[in-house]
Amino acid sequence: MTPAISVAGLTRRYRGQLALDQVSFDIEPGSITGLLGRNGAGKTTLLRIIAGQEFPSAGSLTVLGAAPTTDDHLLSRMVFIREDQLYPQYGGRFTARHTLRAASWFYPNWDADLAFALAADFGLPLNRRVMRLSRGMRSALGIVVGLAARADVTLFDEPYAGLDPVARQMFYDRLLADYAEHPRTVLLSTHLIDEAAGLLERVLVIDRGTIILDAAADDVRGAATSVSGTVIAVQEFTAGRTVWDRRRVGSQESAVVAGALDDTDRARATALHLHLEPLSLQQVVVHTASATAVSQPGMHTPERTSA
Amino acid sequence: MNWSTLVKVARFQLVDRTGYIILPWAILAFDFLVNLALIASWRAPHAPAQTGACAAIYLFFMVVGALSIFQALPFALSLGVSRRSYYAGTALLAIGLAVVYGLALAVLQVIERATGGWGVSLRFFRVYYILPGPWYLTWLTSFVGLTLMFVYGMWVGLVYRRWNLPGLVVFFAAQATLAVAGVIAAARASAWPAIGHFFTTLSAAGLTGLLAALAAVLLAGGYATMRHVTV
Repeated sequence: MTPAISVAGLTRRYRGQLALDQVSFDIEPGSITGLLGRNGAGKTTLLRIIAGQEFPSAGSLTVLGAAPTTDDHLLSRMVFIREDQLYPQYGGRFTARHTLRAASWFYPNWDADLAFALAADFGLPLNRRVMRLSRGMRSALGIVVGLAARADVTLFDEPYAGLDPVARQMFYDRLLADYAEHPRTVLLSTHLIDEAAGLLERVLVIDRGTIILDAAADDVRGAATSVSGTVIAVQEFTAGRTVWDRRRVGSQESAVVAGALDDTDRARATALHLHLEPLSLQQVVVHTASATAVSQPGMHTPERTSA
Repeated sequence: MNWSTLVKVARFQLVDRTGYIILPWAILAFDFLVNLALIASWRAPHAPAQTGACAAIYLFFMVVGALSIFQALPFALSLGVSRRSYYAGTALLAIGLAVVYGLALAVLQVIERATGGWGVSLRFFRVYYILPGPWYLTWLTSFVGLTLMFVYGMWVGLVYRRWNLPGLVVFFAAQATLAVAGVIAAARASAWPAIGHFFTTLSAAGLTGLLAALAAVLLAGGYATMRHVTV
């Protein structure tokens, strides 16, 4: 099957600064992938290149099997919702309703009913000028366009800046519901990892322009465990294991152990009166990103240790 | 790139009609009324009063051309329009509007002529040398002039989008250099009399042809800049 998005050796340089460095991955059609990473890690640059808004310095890229810059037919199967979207302003009234109307012309699968239902759910004032909308409402407008377009490849870059938690939850719910009925390829960049965790089937973690983790979300969730108890017990339990992080307060220690734990391990932990807690997706990502930031020898990404 | 996409791009530009339709005529109407009021109160009757103020609509068309790039392009690209289709669709819209607006300017010129310059010998829609002739030449020249200004505006917008302010400075400096080089070359070759002769004997149709050729060059330059513009 042709990958929905295929990226190989993708590199983007800006005046000596390396925004993307040899990024490679394939995304199969019909999946929701999270693109995670810190500020300035390269998420937006990567998404802009995939959407055909920016050009790579080197490397290759195909979306639905073709280059995403010249082919109108291919482009009509892709939508890109970005946080800092600029809307047309000719000094007049380009309203939220205008935005939806314009979007409906370009997407063959546009669902107007869904668009208006979503707009009503978000409380979007359709007759207000886009530039007069609050930040949250502008995000809501982007989300409505992104979902109602029903594009085969749907790219969201931090789509919910300024949205309150209730509206964000609504976005996750409506995305999942519509995705179930109309499967498509969704690539979503976000900082709110735990919030979106339930949505994600796969995670790509990018740090300083390189992909440092590319794994199924379920694998990442079990990839590390926090072990806490007395220093002696923790030391004994963690001997010979890959430890990402150790913290000591008095006689108590807490360590993050990489790799899945089996029943024997759990029994041993119970015998040592240790408390075990699997790391959430967000915690694993934070550890992975900070591990590469420090890049100490012996620190491994879960991808390598669990392989 | 196909017709239906180009038509969609044109409709996209006209979602908000302010820039393309309302403002150009509102500005021209205001401009005309100001000129009319001044001339009616200041000039002795029947002394022809030439103003070049109808340039306003041409200049504003250049502004709209620039806005079509740095205001409307980013959202169009997000909606999955290719750069090529966006450029072609927007240029076609401008050409279509220029045909209609050129005709409107020709009609206004006919009225101006018939009413003896709106009763006060005002020459607002008749411009010496550029728009002096019969209505069909005025139509043709206005059409080409409006297209030229819009296409130039688009190119300015593209240069700004792609290379920001420094790029724009270089862009204008390059044009100035070209003009100065032309002047120096003409002086060295003692060609000024010949050039003067060329322009004074050039017919309105010839001038229009010259402007059309220039518009074609600008359109090609804009297209080349468009191909790698980022948003």
